[in-house]
Amino acid sequence: MEKQEILKSLMATIVEGDQEKARENSKQALLKQIDPLVAVEEGLSKGMAIVGKRFEQGDAFLPELLMAADAFKAAMEILKPVIALQKREVATAGKVLVGTVKGDIHHIGKDIVVTILETRGFSVVDMGVDVPSLTFIEEAEKAKTDVIALSAVMSTTMPAQKEVIDILREKKLRDKYLVIVGGGPVTQKWADHIGADGYGQTAVDAVGLVFKLMSKKR
Amino acid sequence: MGNLMDVCERAITGPVMSEKEFDMKVFIPRLNEVVKTYGIRYDRENPVPSDDRAADHLFDAAVEFMTKVGVYCLDTNRVMQFSREEVLTAVKEAPKVCYAGEGKEAGIFGMRKPDDPKNPWLHVGSGIVSSSEEYATNIVEGYASIPEVNSVNIPGLATLRGLPVAAGSPIEFYATIRGLRIGLEGLRRAGRPGLPIMNHHPTPAVAVTAIAASAPQFGCRPTDGWLCGAMAEMKINFDTLNRVAYLLAWGANVGAESGPMLGGLCGGPAGFTVLCTAYLLMGQLVQKGDYHLNFPFHFRHICSSTRDVIWGVSMAIQATSRNIQVPTIWAPYCGAGPNTKMYFYETAAILLAWTTSGAPSIMSPHPAKAVKVDGITPMEAKFAVEMGIAAAKLNRAKANDLVVRLLEKYESQVGTPPEGSRYQECFDVTTGKPKEEYVRLYHEVKDELSGMGIPL
Repeated sequence: MEKQEILKSLMATIVEGDQEKARENSKQALLKQIDPLVAVEEGLSKGMAIVGKRFEQGDAFLPELLMAADAFKAAMEILKPVIALQKREVATAGKVLVGTVKGDIHHIGKDIVVTILETRGFSVVDMGVDVPSLTFIEEAEKAKTDVIALSAVMSTTMPAQKEVIDILREKKLRDKYLVIVGGGPVTQKWADHIGADGYGQTAVDAVGLVFKLMSKKR
Repeated sequence: MGNLMDVCERAITGPVMSEKEFDMKVFIPRLNEVVKTYGIRYDRENPVPSDDRAADHLFDAAVEFMTKVGVYCLDTNRVMQFSREEVLTAVKEAPKVCYAGEGKEAGIFGMRKPDDPKNPWLHVGSGIVSSSEEYATNIVEGYASIPEVNSVNIPGLATLRGLPVAAGSPIEFYATIRGLRIGLEGLRRAGRPGLPIMNHHPTPAVAVTAIAASAPQFGCRPTDGWLCGAMAEMKINFDTLNRVAYLLAWGANVGAESGPMLGGLCGGPAGFTVLCTAYLLMGQLVQKGDYHLNFPFHFRHICSSTRDVIWGVSMAIQATSRNIQVPTIWAPYCGAGPNTKMYFYETAAILLAWTTSGAPSIMSPHPAKAVKVDGITPMEAKFAVEMGIAAAKLNRAKANDLVVRLLEKYESQVGTPPEGSRYQECFDVTTGKPKEEYVRLYHEVKDELSGMGIPL
């Protein structure tokens, strides 16, 4: 296969969500001496962008998005060690720490945000669900993230979003991070009340918000 | 069908796997297989289908899905599996009716079939935090004052004495008792203290609070209903099973609860309708429900009034009402809020579709996606009751025609629905009656809908 063909099939394997093919095509790319960063940017990321766009337009749903993300990760298992050996890094749009707050075990909305952020080139630290407030901050400090994104799907767990922001203030770290909030019962009014930097009604809104806030920060 | 101990045994002996493996290697591929094998397809042009064979076929698909997938236990990371024979036994042994309420308000919540002229069980109210403490009693009194109403949901509280009600904290416990007292006071004021409350408890997130606040001295009665929720999708945890264990030991009504999300793990409308149907099977096999509350919604618009959700739920109601006898509340969400034309149109479309499909009950749709505090009033409940009674006089074919026409009126606004008014803006808080502007709008829309052929 020629270089362009390999890049195209890398893109296609992501769109199809085929992990096996994604691994195989990544190996092919390296055998044909395609720069692994080019394979990521011109192949894998383009595929992710296509799936992300389809999802945002309502033409694809969560399974397609998750399968594409898994195929992307499978390909990166092959490409990443080579990129690391070359002491280079995949460019990212920013680093975001995402999790569902303490007392709340809902994960689907959070998973959608994580996956769309990844499709749009962000590096994401997924903290999972039922995350203690202080842990968010400790992990953001460790991972040096730009954004902390807090999901709460029950009205009784929304106070934990406020708690994270309050602790950031107490530790004099509030200005260091952009904090966004979301989840079923969360509203713009609540986001304003607790002093969040933004609110996304849907996962797609949340990702748009991260882009907007990051560009302002820069 | 085994008892709850049998469920617990499966939760500790079933095959072990990560949650991600369950989602990606079991749930998604097997749902896709079932959709393909049974040829389930979304019919965009007919949001209220009238094909009994297709409904039965969907039910068979859901039975197969249940046997292929099972239910994932989040605490043990194991899958509870059920054989086809066990699923069919659960279908056969389903409760058929739920006895709810006390004294003069005691009632039998039973089944309906598609195109059934019998009135549905009339259930109203909002299930989650929607009212401030200040207005909650007025609102419950308003629900219970609607003479035809058979049961209510009471609001949860977001704050108590200005403090946020945090999950698992003692404040949550105090707020739960306070919310219950408010609900009971509203029923008493309406002169219907025995009316069943079907959503104990709307405030707490954790079982320990819900169980503690259910002690009879706080006013709960076993003839009310308790919601014991599944997690999305096809998952359960010990917190929910603890609630079930307590209620079974007490002899109180267990409400198996689930919230299938179109566009989530189940993908598009075809997978969604299988999932909506399968949740009623899970409710019998795992939660041992005396009744079921299913709240289906669209992942992007967070409401149930989109064309694809209306279709998927109509199909699932037809499949279940023809094949399994579980009194079910299909709980809808509207995008628009109170005092808007769009709310009435959405409600009319949802209730026409689901009532003619054979839903055992109607529930007044949550306005404004249920996220606006005080964004709910008894007027929406009154309209829903009237619409449920009117819809029972129609059949699916007629409802399909009407729903298509109603969708034309609001479908383009689903992404940006009007928030509407708050209780204190469109009701007189002293008299508990709707303001003139809202009454005028209500009559205007009712006249318009009557003109379309809805027997209101």
